[in-house]
Amino acid sequence: MQPIQDKDFDKLFKNAFEDAEITPSRDLWSSIESEIEPKKKRIIPIYWLSAAAVLVVATIGFLIYQQQEMQPKQLANNVEPKIIKPVVETPGFEDSTKAVDAPSVKIDEVLPVNSKPEEAIAKTANSENAKPVAKEKIVTAPEMQKKELMIAKVEEPTQDIKAKIDALVSETNTETVIASTATTAKADEVMGDDNQIENKGIRNVGDVVNLIVNKVDKRKDKFIQFRTDDDDSSLSSINIGPFKFGKKNRK
Amino acid sequence: MEGCKAGDRKMQGLLYKQTASKMLAVCMRYAKDRMEAEDVLQMGYIKVFQKIKEYRGDGSFEGWIRRVMVNTAIESYRKNLRSLNVVEIDEAYEQPSTGFDFGTLGMQDLMNVIQKLADGYRMVFNMYVIEGYSHKEIGETLGISEGASKSQLSRARAILKEEIIRMEGFGYATYTG
Repeated sequence: MQPIQDKDFDKLFKNAFEDAEITPSRDLWSSIESEIEPKKKRIIPIYWLSAAAVLVVATIGFLIYQQQEMQPKQLANNVEPKIIKPVVETPGFEDSTKAVDAPSVKIDEVLPVNSKPEEAIAKTANSENAKPVAKEKIVTAPEMQKKELMIAKVEEPTQDIKAKIDALVSETNTETVIASTATTAKADEVMGDDNQIENKGIRNVGDVVNLIVNKVDKRKDKFIQFRTDDDDSSLSSINIGPFKFGKKNRK
Repeated sequence: MEGCKAGDRKMQGLLYKQTASKMLAVCMRYAKDRMEAEDVLQMGYIKVFQKIKEYRGDGSFEGWIRRVMVNTAIESYRKNLRSLNVVEIDEAYEQPSTGFDFGTLGMQDLMNVIQKLADGYRMVFNMYVIEGYSHKEIGETLGISEGASKSQLSRARAILKEEIIRMEGFGYATYTG
């Protein structure tokens, strides 16, 4: 075998590859196209993003504004029918002890439930405006039950109390219930000294909300405040950042 | 070409259609396999469309695109060099092809042989033999000495010759001679 010269050898390759063509895969152009595309369109999304941001801020602002408007009405709607119902139902029935017993078990749950939303609000309240408002509604539901019960008890004639207490004592875990509902003095012992505000009397939804807000919000103008002097617990003031709203003269 | 400069998508597509198969052949020489070559081709065309405004019209447009492709291939090789170990010479022999008759040795066969070379040898061989770089340029581009470029070229030639003889089975010298 004759050894081939390097020059000739190189020429062999050079000639072979001079006009060489190999057809690329079909989808290669589309992937090149999609790689070039973002560069051109990237300018537009910046405008879109800023527009979207403005829209989001405006929407949040509007929702907060709307919620401020709606809140007093909503609370009025929520409170009234539920208060009236037990008042109508309970008197006159002889099995009133049953009616009391059933919710009294629930009260045991109500108290711990109240403490949970407190924590949740503590985490979110100041940064997120919308969420705490939603939480309030959650709080109101169990509190309603409590209120129902209290009203029911108030309406109850004193004769039944003895039988009631007997019935409750026979059950387990009812002592605290009696304490918190029947007499405030006992409640103090059970609850401890920490919850002084709570003991001052949670008579309605407004009290609960005020209590929670007091713990979370240390400002003078609270995030939300209710008048609790009257049983209506009307909204007295709201302070969500730029949106302030006071109703101190209204009853 | 003016359309490409303005970023006209249709003109870009036309340019691609006209040149892609030639450019893939260039990329294939620098790559281990077709997949790698198409990756380089894709990166190369993206560069072409980005840098098309820099083309001043000196030399043929196709030659300019070809240079972009070669540079992209070299760049890709240098990137891989950092993450991958240099392939041993022995790997050049891992797939001996058989059954080629004398005289039928075409571009595709030579391509196969080149692709089997170790990456460093393939680079030097392509750059010197096909693209016409000097050893000095190769040394500077690949970050090796001029002497290393020379010795790698002669080693690459030797491997290629051996491989071609193996492929043909006999007497390739008479074919070229």
